[in-house]
Amino acid sequence: MADRLRALLALCCLALLTFPASAAPIDRAAFAAGLCGDGAAQVRAAEGLVQAGGDLAADDLAYAGGLLGALAERRLACPAEGALLLDRPGASDGRDAVSGAPRPAAEARAPVLGLRQRAAVETARGTVALLTGPDPAARSAGLAVLERRIATVPASVLDRARDAETDATLKATIAGLAQAAALSSPDPARRRAAIAAVAASPSGAAEARLAALKSDPAYASDPAFRAALDAGLAKVTRAVAIGDGLAVVYNGLSFASILFMAAAGLAIIFGLMGVINLAQGEFIMLGAYATYGVQEAFRRLAPGLLDLYLLAAIPVAFGAVALVGIGVEALILRHLYRRPLMSLLATWAVSLFLVNLVRVTVGTQNLQFVMPAYVSGGVPLYADFVMTWNRLFAIGFAAATLVLTLLILRRTPLGLDIRAVTQNRDMAACLGLPTRRVDRLAFGLGSGLAGLAGVALCPIYSVNPGMGSGFIVDSFMVVVLGGVGSLVGTLVAAVGVGGANVLIEPISGAVAAKVIVLVGIILFLQRRPEGLFAVRRRR
Amino acid sequence: MSGAVQTALAAPAGPGRRAVRDPLVAGLVGLCLAAAVGLLVAPPAPYLVNAVGQLAAFAILAVSLDLVWGYLGILSLGHGLFFAIGGYVCAMHLLAHGVAVTGVLPDFVQFMGWKSLPAYWAGLDNAAYAFVLALALAGLVAFVFGLASFRSRVNGVYFSIISQALVYVAMLLMYRNDTGLGGNNGMTGFPLLFGWPMGSPGVVTGLAVAALLTLAAVLAGARLLVGSAIGRRMLACRDDETRLRTLGYSTTRLKLGIWCLSAMIAALAGILYVPQVGIINPRVLAPDLSIEIAVWVAIGGLGRLGGAVIGAILVNGLKFWLSAAMPEAWPFILSGLVLVVVLVLPNGLLDLVGWRPRPTWLRGAR
Repeated sequence: MADRLRALLALCCLALLTFPASAAPIDRAAFAAGLCGDGAAQVRAAEGLVQAGGDLAADDLAYAGGLLGALAERRLACPAEGALLLDRPGASDGRDAVSGAPRPAAEARAPVLGLRQRAAVETARGTVALLTGPDPAARSAGLAVLERRIATVPASVLDRARDAETDATLKATIAGLAQAAALSSPDPARRRAAIAAVAASPSGAAEARLAALKSDPAYASDPAFRAALDAGLAKVTRAVAIGDGLAVVYNGLSFASILFMAAAGLAIIFGLMGVINLAQGEFIMLGAYATYGVQEAFRRLAPGLLDLYLLAAIPVAFGAVALVGIGVEALILRHLYRRPLMSLLATWAVSLFLVNLVRVTVGTQNLQFVMPAYVSGGVPLYADFVMTWNRLFAIGFAAATLVLTLLILRRTPLGLDIRAVTQNRDMAACLGLPTRRVDRLAFGLGSGLAGLAGVALCPIYSVNPGMGSGFIVDSFMVVVLGGVGSLVGTLVAAVGVGGANVLIEPISGAVAAKVIVLVGIILFLQRRPEGLFAVRRRR
Repeated sequence: MSGAVQTALAAPAGPGRRAVRDPLVAGLVGLCLAAAVGLLVAPPAPYLVNAVGQLAAFAILAVSLDLVWGYLGILSLGHGLFFAIGGYVCAMHLLAHGVAVTGVLPDFVQFMGWKSLPAYWAGLDNAAYAFVLALALAGLVAFVFGLASFRSRVNGVYFSIISQALVYVAMLLMYRNDTGLGGNNGMTGFPLLFGWPMGSPGVVTGLAVAALLTLAAVLAGARLLVGSAIGRRMLACRDDETRLRTLGYSTTRLKLGIWCLSAMIAALAGILYVPQVGIINPRVLAPDLSIEIAVWVAIGGLGRLGGAVIGAILVNGLKFWLSAAMPEAWPFILSGLVLVVVLVLPNGLLDLVGWRPRPTWLRGAR
């Protein structure tokens, strides 16, 4: 086996020397004769084609591909001289392989491929398919064939295929294969160059690939190789660590955004009315279902604009959930004013009702969303860190929500009323503010914010009736930590809780992260029972 | 407000007299004893006996919550945690007992590939030790959490949602398989109870009777407590904690003591519950279940020990029946029941029968 491999490698080197880098035409007649020759001649012809593949003109490749295909399918007939292409196996007439002129196929022998010849012919066909395949599927099929015998494929073939490739994923695959081939190349200089090339585009896969080379015999015997590998590995490791750090920050930020949106409404309502809305998670779920409704409406009425449904859902979800919230306030919570503990039970009943209503009417399965281009995929930024659009959408959405809510609270008459009633309800009422109406509108605003969180969740989480309970406890913790009725406190607490969760999770697991965050909050409340940013109240 | 506190503190509080003056509790205690005797003398079908026993365990749980919520104004949405502590320790005892007698390791231990029970199970085959451990553990957890909360004056809705987070985190913890407590499948397949085979009619009846007797004892004891001087202080603390503190009472110590007592009663309910259903798993730690305990109390009648018992029995009886008869409709009925009670019958179903020895100063508990 080792002998054969060495012979093969020698052949490769020989072939590399024989064929200069310029686009040399192949000797078509000799190639046809080779394929019609004995087993050794067939292998020589096929392997020669693979070695020369990177430099051959496209029409030569197509010619060789036609012949190889015919040989593999037993449509190649070999008379005493030249070669014939048949339309189907066993046909009586064919065309001359070189000139294309019709010739009778009588007395011609149709060669049968042995195991070794078949492998060589397959590799050659794969090379042709990779270089001249009309579509990515054909080219990637060719690549799949080559992958099995990548050591015999010269770099020039892969380089040419990579440079000509138009399909991005396939291009990346080819580049990866070319790198792998170069890393195991017998030429030390080429290997070092390949190591540098791998290190230039760091990723977790690159790190693993380089780390695997440490067990290579050359690592112990060749000091230059060892230095190159150590330097490359150090560089990649550092870059991967930075990339992972960026990914953690990014994920923490997106988790914090979701938490903030879920908690902002809670905090406003709690600050104003002293009511914790246990149905807030279900309001988020309603927002997601409203988004689904908008998507279905677009599908029916304006399929061409389907990609825009996520944007159109923003006002719809806000409005619909705000209306539900106002309804809940008017029907139920209004009567529980000054009975905050009972309002906990009442809102829990509302959440139980909503979950089961959706379960019965829509079903328990996860909803299927069409992902518009602007929330699918992402852009690789550094090492393994990919900035995914769906999370960026959530972050941007949360930022916009924050700005808008702050504007409402600080710059509108409603915001002024809400702040006044939050600070001193009795005095505000004495001054003639309709505190009950302010309550209702604020409850609508807080519920609407939950609806918006539902929209932002659609591209990230699975949407089903029970989704609200998943992070509701986290958003309660955000409210408790952030302090009553302070949007800035909610923001800081959301970033803190989200960041802590994402930071601790990789070290000690998701459950430990939750435990540590909860213990941290309880300890924190020892120092500041009112939360981070308590609104000063006038009593 | 001030008048209420002063009356509450000043009212003559002969514990015995007040206990007798609560005919509802007296009636319920009598009913428990009568039912216990009835089960012993003429046991009905085992599944009915079992149902009675489970209801009694739930009633104990409800009383434990009513003590802190109805009488102290602390709404715990995490009482399932203490119930689960009792249940888990009880399950550990039953399994350890089974291993000691039969020598067969429980399924989950084999599943994790362990050769024996984890080290901290040592001694749990001793029933007395397990019993003490369950109560002590529940008391300890309650003490630490209560101390942290009451010392920093965390109360009201804040306390409720933090206690909910506590039970939620405990649930996540117990869902892990490497805790040595059965992971998400929990613990089941208890072979023996005190050497008798589990599920035999005698054991079922014995458990139900034990639950009924415990309920009677807990009810009577709780009634004595709330009728005593401490009970007066509890009410005062519920209605105006600042004022009581200003008067020189240590409300933190009072709340902490009752809170720990309540947790231990809840653990007792868990101890009685698990052998009757034959399984414990992390779902008893789901926040929804803990809220349901509060729902029983609110439906039965907040701040009335008898109300808590009636609420627990009523809601769970309905649940046994309806979640089998029409599982789709049960959540709607439950949520509707809660809303009606909260909106229309602020004192629970006891309002319906015109039971209104309602003091005007219950505000703190809502």
